[in-house]
Amino acid sequence: MAILSVQNLHVQFKTPFGAVYALRGIDFELAKGEILGLVGETGCGKSVTGRSILRLLDDNAQVTAGRIAFENSDLLRLPESAMREIRGKRIAMIFQDPATALNPLFTIGQQLADVLRAHAPGAAAARRRQSLDLLASVGLPDPAQTAKVYPHQLSGGQQQRAMIALSLAAKPDVIIADEPTTALDVTIQAQILDLLRRLQRERAISVILITHDLGVVAETCQQVVVLYAGRVVEAGAVAAVFPAPQHPYTQGLLAALPRPGSRGSDLKVIPGNVPSGLERIDGCAFAPRCEHVMNRCRARQPAFTSFSAAHHAACFLHEASVCG
Amino acid sequence: MAFVSFLLRRLGLSVVVFVGVLLLTFIVSRIIPSNPGALYAGARPRPEQVAAIEKKLGLDKPLSEQFHIYVHDLLGGDLGESYHSRRSINADLSIFLPATLELVIAAVLIALVIGIPVGVLAGAYPRGVFDYATRFVAIAGVSVPSFWLALIAQSVFFSQLGWLPLGSRISRDATLFYPIAAQTGFYLIDAAISANWKAWFDALHHLILPALVLSAYPLGVTIRMTQASMLEALSEAYVTAARAAGLPRRVILFKLALKNAIMPALTVVGLSFAYSITGAFLVETIFSWPGVGKYVTEAVLNVDFPVIIAVTLVVTIFYILVNLLVDVIQAFLDPRLRLV
Repeated sequence: MAILSVQNLHVQFKTPFGAVYALRGIDFELAKGEILGLVGETGCGKSVTGRSILRLLDDNAQVTAGRIAFENSDLLRLPESAMREIRGKRIAMIFQDPATALNPLFTIGQQLADVLRAHAPGAAAARRRQSLDLLASVGLPDPAQTAKVYPHQLSGGQQQRAMIALSLAAKPDVIIADEPTTALDVTIQAQILDLLRRLQRERAISVILITHDLGVVAETCQQVVVLYAGRVVEAGAVAAVFPAPQHPYTQGLLAALPRPGSRGSDLKVIPGNVPSGLERIDGCAFAPRCEHVMNRCRARQPAFTSFSAAHHAACFLHEASVCG
Repeated sequence: MAFVSFLLRRLGLSVVVFVGVLLLTFIVSRIIPSNPGALYAGARPRPEQVAAIEKKLGLDKPLSEQFHIYVHDLLGGDLGESYHSRRSINADLSIFLPATLELVIAAVLIALVIGIPVGVLAGAYPRGVFDYATRFVAIAGVSVPSFWLALIAQSVFFSQLGWLPLGSRISRDATLFYPIAAQTGFYLIDAAISANWKAWFDALHHLILPALVLSAYPLGVTIRMTQASMLEALSEAYVTAARAAGLPRRVILFKLALKNAIMPALTVVGLSFAYSITGAFLVETIFSWPGVGKYVTEAVLNVDFPVIIAVTLVVTIFYILVNLLVDVIQAFLDPRLRLV
């Protein structure tokens, strides 16, 4: 059962140099109660996708086509007032750098109270009790004390826990976590991912985890969507995609992961660079960097080939094998 | 605890600044080539008259001793005596200073009450008609000379429309038939204390035009600073996070972003408050406002050193106090500043 589905999403940014194509047609479905990893290199459109869902893109961004189905409505066509009811209450967001995403001039307790007040009218005492419960549920020691402090008095890991408490405040059904561990130490990263997994299980929340780290996806997610230059190149269950990646880009990404025992040998890299968003791309966006590139890869876009019910990739290599 | 130690450190700094200004005014007044004794004595004094006066004023003593007396008198709250009128400067300032302060405080209040909301909205809706209109008003407010604005205002609101009086603090009728019992020297406060509402409205009527003219500069500064720092605050990640959490726009603008944006604005508003005390001198002259400005202008024309120094010191004290107040407010708003 999909709780959220993104269909054919196109987003471009108006810049002085012309339109920058950030998303060139993204499709994926978030199943209820699952964690879906949205992976790709910097600039592939992961964060833009996340922000499009909550309609938090900058003023120069424009959604040129697509649908974001959530329950019975298309989020892209809801009026702003209805959108405000969705944000925080139905779909919440966690940001990359909690040090800047928390307001420096308000205590954690005040920030929690603001969110609670916006979504659940009630007495101040009830809000306070809820705040303390939330802080306890994200594993912050001494919630009463934490509620009184300002963000700069917390460590990075504690800040991210407070940020997660904020996102949980209005009991959302979906959380979009935009690189929630990138700004943290490795040991803290593992703790935050554990926390996300636990909360997702306990509260039956569906999560979109935006990351560039395939290791994080392998540990945390059930589904994975691989983006390249604003398009989905491969998607499916982590259990299906990771052992047998079908798109040359996914294969390259997985091969580029450092592995235990590979010490001393060169890291594998994918040659070349991500295409600029200013270019129009007619064929496969990965063609210039692909070692299997064929003529038709440059002429038109490959369609998705399904390998199982839960795994498909957009590459002519497989179209060829299916067609014979 | 951090707040108290911050306060003590900050007070200590203010004392250092004050001592510096004390030294400076003393030195300047003693090295300027003029003859206070001769000024005090009046037209064509004989040398023995001048010498007698110098002895009486203590000007024949060594500089270090003079400085000692100067500081001793000041700490006792005695600003000295005018060479020209022989009146006590304390008594003079107790009349003129409240008049100036009433004018300046009114001007700064106007600037804050109008400037901050306008700046917030201009920052929230950039590149719109409202944004460009406020930019124009703000830049005009800062760059138009106050004496020109004062004359235009008089010509429009007194000569053409006849809505507001030409000048002075209160009408002759009020002074004659329902005088204000002096307590603080602030007419609006004194009249309110004695429930003399006729005089209160009369004083307010007189205050409006000079206060509006004087507020042009701080208003322009407040609008521009608030707008610029709002623009910056609204691009911060915590604003995106607040939007993602579904907080109402009103809360985001006037609570979350404004609290951050007000910090740089406060610094500049504090400076422009102190600046307005000196800026008031011109406006006071045009509106025949019996304030420190008029007082010190006459003192300068008469080379009346004790008055000039006293006014300099008083203005300095206001600079120090206002900046102290701004720092304390900022530290109150931003816990991170208490650590510095």
